[in-house]
Amino acid sequence: MRKTLTLLVASTALTAAIVPPAWSALRASADGGVGALAVDREDGVDTLPLVLASDDDDRRGLRSSRDGGDDDDDDCDDDDGVCRASAGSPATGTPAPPRDRIFGNGAPPKVQVN
Amino acid sequence: MKSPLATLALTTALALPGLAMARPVTLTTTLNDYGGDGAYLALYVTDASGAYVGSLWMAGAKSRYYEHLSDWYRATGGDPVQINGITGASVGAGRTLEITLDLADALFDAGCTLHIDAAVEDMRDSPNEVAVPLTTEGAGRPMRGRRYVASLRYDM
Repeated sequence: MRKTLTLLVASTALTAAIVPPAWSALRASADGGVGALAVDREDGVDTLPLVLASDDDDRRGLRSSRDGGDDDDDDCDDDDGVCRASAGSPATGTPAPPRDRIFGNGAPPKVQVN
Repeated sequence: MKSPLATLALTTALALPGLAMARPVTLTTTLNDYGGDGAYLALYVTDASGAYVGSLWMAGAKSRYYEHLSDWYRATGGDPVQINGITGASVGAGRTLEITLDLADALFDAGCTLHIDAAVEDMRDSPNEVAVPLTTEGAGRPMRGRRYVASLRYDM
C-alpha cells in the first residue's frame, strides 16, 4: 500500500512537471509561432524635447523628430506588424512574454495587422 | 502490468486540470479613419480596484512617445520590462490590429478590465480610449472607443 502511494505521488509530480511545457512546445511548433519580437529600445538615448502647443487638456500627441531625417515611423515596418531585431541589436531571438499572472504558458503572441 | 497502467492513468487525470489555467484570447482592435499617422496603442489590464495588473501589447516602438499613453505611463513609469517581447508597430488609421495571446483564466470574471491608451502624432492624446470588462459573457462583443478606436473585441 505504501509503495503504491509513493509511486502515485511520484508519478503525479512527474506528469505535472512534464506535461505543461511539452504541451506548449507542441502547440508552438504546430502553430508555427511568431518570429523574433524585439523591442526597439532607446535606452541611453536622450529624449528629445516635445514641442507642446498648449496645456495638458489640449496637448498635441506624438511629435516626430526633425533631426537627421528620423521620423516618428516605427522601425518595424513589416506587414505583419511585428518589430524585428534591428541590425545593431543582439540577434538573440524573441524574448518570451513576461511571465506574470496575466500570461499562460509564455507562448509568443501572434500578431496581424490588416 | 495493470496496476502501473492504472496508476499512470490516475496521475495523468490529476495533472490535466493544470492545463486549463490559460487559454488563447484574440484581441481585435479596429481604428477609425481619423486622418492622421499611425497610432500608438497600449493594451493593459487593471484589477477590480483599478490597480494595474500587466500589459498585453504595445503598438509603437519608440519609447520616447510612451508618455503620451498617459494612463499606462503613470501606472508603469514607462518601464520597458512591462512590454518586453510584446511590442509591435504602430497601427495606421483605418487598420485592424489582431493579437492572439495566452491569457490566464484568472483575468476573466474577476472584475478585471482591459484598457487601451491611444496617441497619434499631431493629434490629441486619448488615455483610457476604451475600457472593456473581461468576462466570459463579454467575449465577442465589440466596444467603441472615444476617439481613435472604432471597435475593440476579444474572442476566447
